Amino acid sequence: MKKTKNILFAFLLALIPFMVSAQIDGEFVKARTGTFLLKNATVMTVTNGTLENASVLIKDGMIAGVGTNLSEDGAEVIDLSGMFIYPGMIDGGTSLGAVEVNSVAETVDNREIGNVTPNMQILTTINPNSVAIPVTRVSGVTTVLSKPVGGLFPGTAALINLNGYTPDQMYAGFKGVVMNFPSSARRGRFDRRSDDDIEKAKEKAVKEANDIWENAVNFHQMQSEGAEMQYYPEMEQLAKVVAKELPLLIEVNAASDILNAIDWVEGKDINVIFMGCDEGWRVAEELAESGIPVIAGPVQDLPTRASDRYDAAYANPGKMMKAGVKVAIRTNEVENVRNLPFHAAYAGAYGMGKEEALKAVTIVPAEIFGVADKYGSIEEGKRANLLVSTGDPFETSSDIMHVFIEGYRIPLSNRHIRLYQEFLERDPGLGN
Amino acid sequence: MKKTLLRLYVSVLSLSMVFSAFQVSAQSDPTGKRRITDSYAIKDALVITGPGKEAQLSTILMKNGVITAIGSNVNIPAGTRIIEGDSLYIYPGFIAGASDAGITKPEDPERPDGFLSSDPPDEIAGITPWRSAADQYSSSGKGISDLRKSGFTIIQVQPDGGMLSGKAAIMLLGDENTSNLIQENTALVASFRGSRGMYPSTAAGVMSKFRDVYKNAEQTKNVNDQFGNNLGTRRPEFTETSQGMQDVISGEVPVLFSASSELQILRALKLQRELGFKLVLTGLENYEKVIPQIQESGAGVLIKLQAPDDKASKKELDEDASEAAKEQLTRVQEAYQAALAQAAKLEAAGIPFAFSLVDAKPNKAKEAINKMMEAGLSESGALAALTTNPAEMLGISRVTGTLEQGKMANMVIATAPIFEEESQIKHVVVDGYVFDYETKKKKASGEAPAEGIEIAGVWDYENAGPAGSNEGTITITKVDEGYEGTITYDNPSGSGKASAPISDIELSGSTLSFTFSVSAQGTSIDIEVVGEISDNSMEGTMDLGDFGSYPLTATLTPNFISSK
Amino acid sequence: MLGLISLNGLAQAPKGSVLIQNATVITITNGNMEDADVLVEDGIIKKIGQDLRAPNGVEVIDATGKYLMPGIIDAHSHQGLDVVNEASAPITSEVQMKDVVNPTSIGLYRALAGGVTVSHAMHGSANVIGGQNATIKHRWGTINPEDIIMEDAPRTIKFALGENPTRVHGRGNGIQPRTRMGVEAIIRNGFNEALQYKKAWEDYNSNPNGSTNPPRYNERLQTLVDILDGKIIIHCHSYRADEIYMLINVCKEFGVDKLVFQHTNEGFKVAPEIAKYTMGASVFADWWAYKFEVYYSTAYNAAILSRNGAITSINSDSGELIRHLYHEAAKTQRYGDLTDEEALALITINPARQLGIDDKIGSIEEGKHGDLVIFNEHPLSVYAIPQMTFVDGIKYFDINEDADDQRISVSPTEMVEPIYLTEENHRCMQGTIRYYGENLFKHSH
Repeated sequence: MKKTKNILFAFLLALIPFMVSAQIDGEFVKARTGTFLLKNATVMTVTNGTLENASVLIKDGMIAGVGTNLSEDGAEVIDLSGMFIYPGMIDGGTSLGAVEVNSVAETVDNREIGNVTPNMQILTTINPNSVAIPVTRVSGVTTVLSKPVGGLFPGTAALINLNGYTPDQMYAGFKGVVMNFPSSARRGRFDRRSDDDIEKAKEKAVKEANDIWENAVNFHQMQSEGAEMQYYPEMEQLAKVVAKELPLLIEVNAASDILNAIDWVEGKDINVIFMGCDEGWRVAEELAESGIPVIAGPVQDLPTRASDRYDAAYANPGKMMKAGVKVAIRTNEVENVRNLPFHAAYAGAYGMGKEEALKAVTIVPAEIFGVADKYGSIEEGKRANLLVSTGDPFETSSDIMHVFIEGYRIPLSNRHIRLYQEFLERDPGLGN
Repeated sequence: MKKTLLRLYVSVLSLSMVFSAFQVSAQSDPTGKRRITDSYAIKDALVITGPGKEAQLSTILMKNGVITAIGSNVNIPAGTRIIEGDSLYIYPGFIAGASDAGITKPEDPERPDGFLSSDPPDEIAGITPWRSAADQYSSSGKGISDLRKSGFTIIQVQPDGGMLSGKAAIMLLGDENTSNLIQENTALVASFRGSRGMYPSTAAGVMSKFRDVYKNAEQTKNVNDQFGNNLGTRRPEFTETSQGMQDVISGEVPVLFSASSELQILRALKLQRELGFKLVLTGLENYEKVIPQIQESGAGVLIKLQAPDDKASKKELDEDASEAAKEQLTRVQEAYQAALAQAAKLEAAGIPFAFSLVDAKPNKAKEAINKMMEAGLSESGALAALTTNPAEMLGISRVTGTLEQGKMANMVIATAPIFEEESQIKHVVVDGYVFDYETKKKKASGEAPAEGIEIAGVWDYENAGPAGSNEGTITITKVDEGYEGTITYDNPSGSGKASAPISDIELSGSTLSFTFSVSAQGTSIDIEVVGEISDNSMEGTMDLGDFGSYPLTATLTPNFISSK
Repeated sequence: MLGLISLNGLAQAPKGSVLIQNATVITITNGNMEDADVLVEDGIIKKIGQDLRAPNGVEVIDATGKYLMPGIIDAHSHQGLDVVNEASAPITSEVQMKDVVNPTSIGLYRALAGGVTVSHAMHGSANVIGGQNATIKHRWGTINPEDIIMEDAPRTIKFALGENPTRVHGRGNGIQPRTRMGVEAIIRNGFNEALQYKKAWEDYNSNPNGSTNPPRYNERLQTLVDILDGKIIIHCHSYRADEIYMLINVCKEFGVDKLVFQHTNEGFKVAPEIAKYTMGASVFADWWAYKFEVYYSTAYNAAILSRNGAITSINSDSGELIRHLYHEAAKTQRYGDLTDEEALALITINPARQLGIDDKIGSIEEGKHGDLVIFNEHPLSVYAIPQMTFVDGIKYFDINEDADDQRISVSPTEMVEPIYLTEENHRCMQGTIRYYGENLFKHSH
């Protein structure tokens, strides 16, 4: 499985430009932009097949060329013989940047108080220096949807690139209002409510959601008629969904809830994306018919019911895709978004196929988020978000050798790697 | 802590002094309620003297709580009250192996200063083997009269509490004004219930603590034995707990372990194997797969007198339900059948068992037994589980469990063979006291409707109820194969009227019967109405189960367009 | 699947025979063998080689093009337990997980479907010295705990340092320990009381004719005595380097060398000490940042520990991760470039050593148990899928033949099967640790 290759090697490659001068203690390698020609690689374009022995030219943050006879003029040439170029991976659902240490409440910024808080902007709280961001991007995940969690309308999610010093530098051009559709699932093993109580609680929540929605529709109606509206930031934000300025990202998982959500959406002229859909495979036909795209996952997850086949969660994205649903994949993680390629690989192995699994973390989420003109494949004119690997980037035995985000060459270092460098051969070793 | 041996005939502390025939206080009875004699004869009844016995036409004579004669040729002395036993069936009084009826939980002791949740005093942590159920029991306590009404005459009651709540006691369900204690200190009541917020808080902690308590009680006993024999031995340090355990360690008293599931049963058996105590398992609900282990252990068995709710197994699926959903329903249905068949499997394995009534509803007891019988339990097996088996297990078979001369006058007197559906209990005799019960009008039993009787239309009815009188209408419509209808009634959880569909509408001869259910305060009550019709009017009863049975009258306003 | 395995409480576990042919056999301890056969008879690996013949009546499985490896061993799990934490005292060494094993827990089947044949069912991490653990074999289909508790596995006990015990007892109940200083003190108190207890019994026993009385029997202290006497292996939940170092020192002082660290996220900082003085560390592949004491972690932990010579294993502590420990082990190739042999040792022979059962399982060797798993691809590939799993030569998982619904017991009154969204569980799990200090999802770290 494993060729002898070392992540340090990749790190050293990044260091080469600086190695002429003696190493200074505490020197930090920054991301840097420029014109780069990535030469002699196998290019997995995702949208236009595989190009053998091809090059990719990166200039001004863009992919300026893909092909075999690209000019080296003014470009820093990186020879990638035997290596592979892939589009940067996109995680369709995380809270990366908004949570630092999950058990330390002071660092948890993805969950606001209140049931209807669509005006809460995750982009506001993205910490560009979160330790988890460099930990994530060295795996080739370049872009993630970060989203708030909590009540019925917990806030507004945003797509971010994993490089930049301000949230705006990171913003990748998509926002959506999150809705947690009323759930008939149990909250955990401690949830001992009767079936009836669960059903009643859900019905009450649906009714509440309808009332709130009606409010938003009326708010939008009056607004567009030119009425001077009272300050009501929650409704203002929901009105943007009514006006189709923002899509609604609906988190929905149990089969019956998915059907209810499809009904709920029907007749509302809004843009909708489903998230989660843990039991999507049970109602895949209905989902396909609805035409609503799904950001599925986590894939490495348990079945929702004890009676389910053990691989229900692994097989879920493939089953939905085969029924005709447009499926992207998410980790729903914070610190371990780096596992996105493995979630995709599991979907691939359990029915989706490797090729479609790759699309589900590249071009498909780009399409679902309406940013396929910029991200999701290796094409001239798109933003330069890509990774270079020694093999299939889903395989743990492959090393990620380079990552580019918006044309910036990302140093392949982070705290995990620095600790490795310091402690692999500790000095002093054993002894007092 | 001395064992109270069969104190039945020496009710020293009893209030019954006041009413006793041998009273010492030379008072008359100004209430007029005292029974005029303690001698009764039930004449010419069909007597089933015990499990597996044929009904014999006999007369039973009893005096002072004891059966003095039984047979076809019995002389009835003067001064005997005679009950006509014509067409009645008499069975030995039922005995339950475990019950919490009549028990009031003692107050929790206060936490001492410096209380450590990691090392709480035994009493606070639910370790109270010295307590006696007799001290927590009241003959007029909750559930007693319902049990008696269902035919139970003797129960072993267990104290309320934690993992070792105390000692069980055997009680007669007799007259409230007599002492009903038969025997104290009959079993140590144990469960896997942890204490909230202190050690031991889980089943794992409870098992460890159980071993600790047991082994230290053994050690105390050994030291005590030494103390008498070896000069220089320090005195044993007796504690309430170690004292409370002594009869268990010596094997005189079994541990009555609540174990409803297979895993809990195996855990109790594990403790028994390790420590060697006598064991009675109680409250068994799921035990099918561990019957061999139970058998091997020789433990006594008290199964919970309850059938699982059949709602899930009767669920109907839509036609387009998935294969997986159908398979799952099949599994639920199989589990339901398997649960009912467990008692039959115990019987087949030759394990004598009796019943536990803790958390079981006495008014559903017969239904539960009938379902067990449908699933294979024999009639004699069912009767044994209610009479001879518990008598044997409780060590009182010499004096009760069957109907024989010299045994206690405990019996159940019913209108038909006891397990038959229409059978109703008319009298229960406990300790020679006769308790009478109103029998409902005979429920419709499939006779052809009498000619000229019409039930379709709107009936105006009124009846007494638990909270005063109630009135409303019953609307019955003839449909293809029978009838359907609705009933209105005073809304129990608010003002105005509520209504409910009625079902099982049957007209048999001139007897109309139907059922409906009413929801109130989160519980559903099944109500049965039976009435005799003549000339567009009906007289009958409305039976509210636990809440009693009430007379009902109704008149019909015929509705000539009611036939569809 | 198999119905009831044994009738009485102490029955012998069932053993099977099978011949698996033409596989790439990954022996772990002896390299790989291409196109090889493995014969299991009566639960024991009888022969490994080419062109083996099946004795009469022994099933033959053709594994051409497939990979055969020893059953995976999870050194940290809570699957198959009805109770995880007796969280009511800082020391509960008398508590035994063997008392609360639940062989019908669906998590055990799901583990089999991930190739895991043996797991270490541990007490939780609420107490400084928790309960004794159970090493279980995943013999699916029985309701009897005795059928799955591994015969002859040494006793092990859970210790826990750091945030969990200080939160539960210090902040929750207002008793020691509230700090990592207090954690050390609790352990020292326990060990010293145990020495006194031991001495009291020795004094008593040396004077059998009796003018003294026996000390009060105390299983809690007796268990600690057994630890000091080397009869029990400590498996200690730990994260920070300082607390790991503390326990190494305490154990050295008390002459205890049967010590394995669990989680050990900062083990890499004291890898030389762990390598020299202990039976190593059992770690996560990549979990970090879910609480403060794991914020300064690295996914290279397993690699650093391995390369420093510490016995290292990768565990799940999770009903989800236990299903793909082979993939968790494979992550050490991305994070530290371990060889195939080193990576697979993390989930086979190394955890076996840490549980004291490496003479019985953990590799494919003649004389060891027939605990085996067949993969369609190399088990370190992210696309590998277990095909069949055997325990003692009996097949308990078959990807093609098994029914979807594997529940052993079904409630006769279940109207709607409960739906658990593990997305929520995963989050709640971390929350419950924080607020209750005990593991509602059998998933606490």
